Parts: sequence; structure tokens; C-alpha cells
Amino acid sequence: MWRYEKRLQYPVKISQTNPKLAQFIISQYGGPDGESAASMRYLSQRYAMPYKKGKAILTDIGTEELGHWEIIAAIVHQLTRNLTPEEIEASGFGPYYIDHTTGIWPQAAGGVPFNACEFQSKGDPITDLFEDLAAEQKARTTYDNILRMVKDHDVCDPIRFLREREIVHFQRFGEALRDVQDHLDSRNFYAFNPAFDQKQKPCSPKKTQ
Amino acid sequence: MTCGNALLQKVYETGFALDEVTLYLDTHPSDSQAMEYYQYIQKANQDAVAAYEQSYGPLTIGQVNASTWIWANNPWPWEGGM
Repeated sequence: MWRYEKRLQYPVKISQTNPKLAQFIISQYGGPDGESAASMRYLSQRYAMPYKKGKAILTDIGTEELGHWEIIAAIVHQLTRNLTPEEIEASGFGPYYIDHTTGIWPQAAGGVPFNACEFQSKGDPITDLFEDLAAEQKARTTYDNILRMVKDHDVCDPIRFLREREIVHFQRFGEALRDVQDHLDSRNFYAFNPAFDQKQKPCSPKKTQ
Repeated sequence: MTCGNALLQKVYETGFALDEVTLYLDTHPSDSQAMEYYQYIQKANQDAVAAYEQSYGPLTIGQVNASTWIWANNPWPWEGGM
């Protein structure tokens, strides 16, 4: 069960609009390495996580990602306030504007709509945690790419905060992965899937008499 | 429907009543009778949550009132324990 807290995790106060930049940053709202995929990924993976540290970290990072999703929306919203049709046309924001006006809709920077294929929930804690580690790095790279395009401190500041959180989450998922491996057979972490198998190899060779 | 734990049942009931009246108040902000009910159920929910948390541990992550990190100790809701 969730309840909404009426504040952003990190404040967003942008005075200068910039629709071109908004079109880049919206990728973190609905793009392949964005915050919506992050939140859905971790919150969906919880059910196949057998260990309590993993359950807690997936729940709590998945929740924080929802807060990041909201920060991105706030940035895009503030970058696209009070635009004139001339500004929209000159900035290249036109195609987005035609379909969504200045409403917030989950899409990648290139216009590809959000879809669930942007994340995986594999039902195997090792596989899922490696996906999560990769996801945090991919998001960090996206924020690095965005930061190269940003000149305005008002935009830089919350983006830098989000970038830092990717690094912290990467660290925490690494610790969760180590905890999962500590529960498994150190000679072969893949001997069985602790979310599915009853502690034997899925396809163990027949014993010879 | 009951959940088998009287303290948690009270959290479910007052929590749902809160969900219901807050949506109603969003679209009827000047309904003073609904506002009175909100104040009544808000208190009942706070009391129910406090009573449950005292016996069974925190329901929200900012309410860990213990000297050790007990957030992850209890069963999670999707495990059928709640």
C-alpha cells in the first residue's frame, strides 16, 4: 500500500523554459533506461526474491524511483511552461506538442512510447539483480548524456542529484547480490534457482548404480 | 473480510475509510459533514496504526522505533502474512 507525500524528493525550481531540453529529459520519464521502468522493474521483481534484505531493498528503491519519476515530470513540466507556438516550432518540440500539447506522457527522447519490454522480471534473483545493476548504470549514463546538454544550473542541480542516486542504488544492489550469493552454494551459484527450485539442479544427471 | 489479526484489521478498516473520505473530499472540499468524518477517521487510523506498530513493527519506513533495523524482519504483505 502506498500513500502520497506532497513534496518532491529533491526540489525543482526552473525559471527559464527550454522545450528542446525537455524533449531530451523526458527519456528518463518513459525511455528505455528511465525512472518508470526502474520502479516497475524493482517492484515487480520483489515477488521472486526469497531473502529479506533483497525484499526490503527492491521495495524501497522501487518506491524511491517513483519519486524520481515525479522529479523528471516536474522538470519537463517546468521546462515547457507558457510556450508560444513560435517557440515550439523553433525548438523542435512540435511533434510532441501535436500529440500531447504540454502534457506529460512517457516516451523516450526519440518519441518511442514506454513499454514493459524496457525491463525484465525473470523470476531468478541473480538474473534480476544483474539486470538491476545494469539498469542503474544505464540510467547513470543517460544522466551523464543529459548533463552534457544542460547549461542551466536550475536543471543541472536536480539532474545531478538523480545521477548520484543511480550510483547509490548500484552500490545497494551489489550488496543485495552478495547477500543472495551468500545464501547459495559458493561452488556453483547457479546450481538451483532459489525462487523456484527445491534446492536441486533443474536437470541433474541420473545417478549411476 | 477479516485478516485474522484484530489490530491489523483495524488498520485495514480505518485505512480504507480514510481512502474513501479523502477522495470524496477532493471533489467536495466544502462538505463539513465529510470533513468531520475525516477528522474522526484520521484519528482512528493514527491510533490503529500506532497500536499495530507497537506490537508488530513498522508499517512505514519512517516509523522504525527500535534500536536495530527491524524494517525487513516481518513477513511482507505479498507473502500472505498480513
